[in-house]
Amino acid sequence: MLNYLLRRALLMVPTLLGITLVVFVVMASAPGGLTAQSLVDGNNIEPEARKALEDYYNKLYGLDQPAPVQYLRWLNNISPIGFEREADGTLGDFSFTKGPDLGLSFRYGRPVTDLLAERLPITLLLNLLSIPLIYAVSIAIGVQAARTRGGRFDVASNIVLLGLWSVPTMLAGVLAIGFLASEQYWRWFPTGGLVRREAVDQTFLPWLASVSDVLLMLCIVALATALLVWAVARAPARLRHIGGALLGAALGYAMAADLAGWVPVLLHVVLGLAGAALLGALAGIPGTALRIAIAGGLGLVLGVVVARAAGVQVLQAGYLFDRAWHLVLPVIALSYGGLAFLAKLTRASLLENLAADYARTARAKGVDEETVLWRHVFRNSLLPLITVSATLLPSLLAGSVIIESLFSIDGMGKLAIEAVQTRDRELVLSVTLISGLLTLAGYLLADIAYAIADPRVSYD
Amino acid sequence: MTEQTVNLKPSRPWSAQVLGALLLRTTARLGLAWIAVLVLVAAFAPFLANSHPLLLVVDGETRFPAFAHLQAADYTWLAGLVLAVVAWRLRGPVFLRFAGWFAAVAVVGGLAWMTVSPPSLVIYEQYRELEAAGRVDSIVRAPIPYSAKDYLRDYGDTGIEAPLAGRDGRTHWFGTEDSGADVAARMIEATRIALGIGFIATGIALVIGTIIGGLMGYFAGVVDIIGMRLVEIFEAIPTLFLLLTFVAFFGRSIWMMMIIIGITSWSGYARYVRAEFLRLREQDFVQAAIASGLPLQSILFRHMLPNGVAPLLVAASFGVASAILAETTLSFLGLGLVDDPSWGQLLNQAVQSSTFNWWLAVFPGGAIFLTVFAYNLVGEALRDAVDPHTQRRGKRA
Repeated sequence: MLNYLLRRALLMVPTLLGITLVVFVVMASAPGGLTAQSLVDGNNIEPEARKALEDYYNKLYGLDQPAPVQYLRWLNNISPIGFEREADGTLGDFSFTKGPDLGLSFRYGRPVTDLLAERLPITLLLNLLSIPLIYAVSIAIGVQAARTRGGRFDVASNIVLLGLWSVPTMLAGVLAIGFLASEQYWRWFPTGGLVRREAVDQTFLPWLASVSDVLLMLCIVALATALLVWAVARAPARLRHIGGALLGAALGYAMAADLAGWVPVLLHVVLGLAGAALLGALAGIPGTALRIAIAGGLGLVLGVVVARAAGVQVLQAGYLFDRAWHLVLPVIALSYGGLAFLAKLTRASLLENLAADYARTARAKGVDEETVLWRHVFRNSLLPLITVSATLLPSLLAGSVIIESLFSIDGMGKLAIEAVQTRDRELVLSVTLISGLLTLAGYLLADIAYAIADPRVSYD
Repeated sequence: MTEQTVNLKPSRPWSAQVLGALLLRTTARLGLAWIAVLVLVAAFAPFLANSHPLLLVVDGETRFPAFAHLQAADYTWLAGLVLAVVAWRLRGPVFLRFAGWFAAVAVVGGLAWMTVSPPSLVIYEQYRELEAAGRVDSIVRAPIPYSAKDYLRDYGDTGIEAPLAGRDGRTHWFGTEDSGADVAARMIEATRIALGIGFIATGIALVIGTIIGGLMGYFAGVVDIIGMRLVEIFEAIPTLFLLLTFVAFFGRSIWMMMIIIGITSWSGYARYVRAEFLRLREQDFVQAAIASGLPLQSILFRHMLPNGVAPLLVAASFGVASAILAETTLSFLGLGLVDDPSWGQLLNQAVQSSTFNWWLAVFPGGAIFLTVFAYNLVGEALRDAVDPHTQRRGKRA
């Protein structure tokens, strides 16, 4: 295994070189290319100062040299061993301890390493929150769809998932910001950023006015959640449908009232009907576990809202809540696409295995369907999901470019856009290198996970 | 030896079988119907939304301004549609008909660029002024009487307006955008960009992917190893990021965007073709073709490719969807076309100004969604149609 890992790590090097080379060639072959003049342009300064600045850039980045030399210089800079760089721009002695140097960003005038150290954790936070969410939800939906193959849930979820998969990320983001965050409609979520300035100074957890308020809040939340969970778990289907529709209608009406007052207009009717249809349909989902999960989430949110309405005073929302509150929309917008794709894949993979000979054998032995599904079929169906996890990371990285610029989150995606827009060579190359490295690491992790999940696969 | 009468029915060509299986599915039909609507809208765009009236009688003189202002691109689109219908009706191999159609469209397009010369100075407001002056005897306007680039300067300082909120007797069904142009007109014009980018970018990616993947699969060995590294490189660069770099460092013309999207998305097709060719190269008919000394391109493209085209078709259908998404994403991030309308650019304006303009999110966004959805539906149905496994199951059920 160690041997294999070493070989893979070494194979990454040419690929990474290729990736940066492609991007470098694109930049160098662009009309106008990268010259000190293009960097200085736009600054309204005197000719002498301009000349001095150009010379400075030429010396620092070697911009007056041919493109291949520039690329080799850049490679020398980023590699941990190589030639020392002297202050006057020439190359010094060969050294084994010079350490990698990603250079200075043209635009920010700061070391690229610092910029990346600031921005990368934010993008990783978004992605690492999305991945478990994607897997949990898509496995739940996929299993349910495969179980009720050809049934109503299967057909409906198939269409809905394909639809979700087709919704462009920016459309989802724009609609979410526009309707749920902007001043004109519901102002439930912040429009952008990751944390409010005030929240940084607040306590970590929410701070309520008194102990009795805390107890009241807990009681109401627990009651609402328990009630809903009990209802979806125990009530007969017809009752569930009616209850769900009623609750949905009430929530839709309340949502309209939040915007347009309590006097009913067309909006109230439309939202009420939409809410009734949605929750009524959700209440009819055949899988109990899936229903309970939805009802639990809804109960928590409802409980908090009811408690606030009942007079529980929240002095400070707290850092944790504020952070989570800022992350809701970006994470949802980032994950729904992959979720739809993965859920369809889970379903297909499960169906293939459910029809396999070994599943039939297990059934013939008298193993009950639950055990067949979870102990026999599910574990074998995981393999394609693991394979896909490798491609999930690149698509999430691409998605975070859109999400971050839309929600004005200062992550690496936003940095990437700024870098290419300002033709910041060092930054573009470094972001390429890092995202390429992350992607390749994702592939490697997927291969290792594959070997762990499937004992037949061995890399020795 | 007894004479046996065998009732040999010539089997239908594979393409016809797939098409038949495809059209059996409701979802595929819906998707194809939406794409057909888009094609019609794109072809007849100048007659659907135009500031130039279709027919104008001024001072007793009859004019057809809309026809006089038709661009070379308008003629090319119309000719493309007519020729497509002709090619559909003709008999012969699908590939030949498609190539013939493509060549004919190219010829018509070239002729149109050379011969058509609409007035270079376009004054959109002249008709409204004539009408206001009472000199118009009769007028027939397009259903949406505004052009995509008609910024309604004669109405003063126009800007973003909600649907049906236009003053001065103007009716904008989908509202207006940042600089005052009608959103519906811009969306109709942008249909061409969406369709064109989708098809041409995917076509470029298919050609590159097929050639590289085919060579990799056919030669295997060293070529395969080097090719796979190339594929890996292009897969490990986030496509969106490479696109951004390309667009930021090269210009922003529509052709450039098609080429760029094409050369950043071929790696998937190369993988598919490679896998198919690796499987096919060991088969007898390929060995026979090699043994009879056929030239390489004949072996690759006449004998192997038609047998390995099935997964490629499915991937291409999804590829068109992602090419459209790529274009809208670029436009959305402000790196798209400058003056020409595009759905992504309209969507971008929904949150650009301090207010949220829902009509700029819902209508163009809805168009993007429906188009991508349609291609995905077709791709999904196509996958089932070319897969003999599901086909058999479908018949039995």
